[in-house]
Amino acid sequence: MRKIIEISNLYKSFGEVKAVQDLSFCVKEGELFAFLGVNGAGKSTTINIMCGQLAKDSGTVVIDEKNLESDVTGIKTEIGVVFQNSVLDQALSVKENLRSRAALYGIAGEEFRKRLEELSKLLSFEDLLKRTVGKLSGGQRRRIDIARALLHRPKILVLDEPTTGLDPQTRQIIWNVIDSLRKTENMTVFLTTHYMEEAADADYVVILDSGRLVAQGTPLELKNKYTGDFITLYASDEESVKKLGVEYERIRDAFRLFVPNTAAAAELIINNPTIFKDFEITKGKMDDVFLSVTGKALTGGESK
Amino acid sequence: MKQFRELTRRNIILFFKDKGMFFTSLITPAILLVLYATFLGNIYKDSFLSSLPEGFTLAEDLINGLVGGQLMSSILAVSCVTVAFSSNMLMVQDKANGTIKDLSISPVKKSTLALSYYFATLISTLIICYVALAICLLYVSFIGWFISFADVMFLILDVFLLVMFGTALSSIINFFLSSQGQIAAVGTIMSAGYGFICGAYMPISSFSSGLQKVVSFLPGTYGTSLVRNHSMNGAFREMKSMGIPGNVVEMIRDSIDCNLYFFDNKIEVPAMYIILTLTTVAFVCIYVALNALKRKP
Repeated sequence: MRKIIEISNLYKSFGEVKAVQDLSFCVKEGELFAFLGVNGAGKSTTINIMCGQLAKDSGTVVIDEKNLESDVTGIKTEIGVVFQNSVLDQALSVKENLRSRAALYGIAGEEFRKRLEELSKLLSFEDLLKRTVGKLSGGQRRRIDIARALLHRPKILVLDEPTTGLDPQTRQIIWNVIDSLRKTENMTVFLTTHYMEEAADADYVVILDSGRLVAQGTPLELKNKYTGDFITLYASDEESVKKLGVEYERIRDAFRLFVPNTAAAAELIINNPTIFKDFEITKGKMDDVFLSVTGKALTGGESK
Repeated sequence: MKQFRELTRRNIILFFKDKGMFFTSLITPAILLVLYATFLGNIYKDSFLSSLPEGFTLAEDLINGLVGGQLMSSILAVSCVTVAFSSNMLMVQDKANGTIKDLSISPVKKSTLALSYYFATLISTLIICYVALAICLLYVSFIGWFISFADVMFLILDVFLLVMFGTALSSIINFFLSSQGQIAAVGTIMSAGYGFICGAYMPISSFSSGLQKVVSFLPGTYGTSLVRNHSMNGAFREMKSMGIPGNVVEMIRDSIDCNLYFFDNKIEVPAMYIILTLTTVAFVCIYVALNALKRKP
């Protein structure tokens, strides 16, 4: 897979505040890329630089082989952005909004009509076209935001916390559409999210803290590197668990044992066949990775 | 061109759909109407009558035509600028609510975006001001009509130029604004202040000589004078035909700013058109340059 986004040694400061420091990473075409960090970590600054909204202090940004410094207009045609908060015109209808935004990419007339039909089917908003955007529910508005970002068939879809505040059903609809686009159009998805289960499905994850890259890898690599494994042991007593000599916690109807990795878990089980009669092994979660790497928990946009 | 056309269309629709912006833009004309209806109309009527030589009387409809012409010129002179400011609020609202980010992540040129705001404001303001002109002409036709067809044509041109000027001025000022509070402050200052400095509420001739000299540097005053000339010329012609001495008519014209002076030099109507046109062109160029040269944060 070729690299569709290449960022090298990126720096950006706002006065004394160093928003992004020596940031380098790349995103491969067709990948679901998760960009994680607490508020103020530098995620939005990086996205704004990529989209040509902010000037960088130094470093290089190459998107689809176009350099940000020499071809920002070309880059803008390759990127579709779903902002954290809807920025469509609240007083206009869905169709009026999409029509005005499509024209910004030179899409009008019959071409717009066809694209609108495709998107309204894809995101199931045929019945909302005449409704005023300001009167839509959060989930309905989010679907229109995504349609707006997809109007010009971008190669990269940037999703800035797209499902925050949405109900599980709407989140599922949105993820189904995104998965479908990735499969059918090989679209690269650049995601920032506070939902770790969404990040766990990513192909590659970058974690930022205070403007710096602090960890990167596939979810499996990150879990293996930054968290241990968990053995949930059923039908046993606390005396037996204590004898194992590992850290544990009591949960409702079982014990949760912490082991450094899967090999250690396997060894523990093989050496104690009488205790391990009913059990399951799970890897650490992305929340544990994030906590381990940054020392902060990522919950709904707030760090703890 | 598609980008420019659709952005302009969007901006116009949003202005007329946003009741806040639309009704705010009508406040100044409404205030003027109330002022004239309650007392300013009578004051001007008395002022006209007192300025006539002894023994001369004017027909009621001629007096009403003069007062109506002055009312019309004041309403139009102020509205063309203050309505433009209200209509141009969208430019600031887009910054305040983040919509500008959505527009500028697309491959649209900054100058196209800037001109779309300008033309949308121009069209919205022209629509409102031409409706106001039609209502004013209708009103004058009921109370005392002395306006020639040529003057009506000139009034249409005057309104067009003043709206172009007001839109350009508001575009430059709004360029530097980015919040709702700033819009409200500028809107209030413009509504209250512009009517005075352009001579719409009180004639410039009634200001102190120092203030008159300062105001003579402001291009908007020439716009007011243009509208006033064309809305009252017919009534003055009628006065002359009734035997009112020319110097008396000129004195009245001086007192209500039909004649404007720049350091004692009378500015003729063609010169007023040139001043207003050149100022507008300069303002539009400044506005587009401000947008094109604006650096990313």
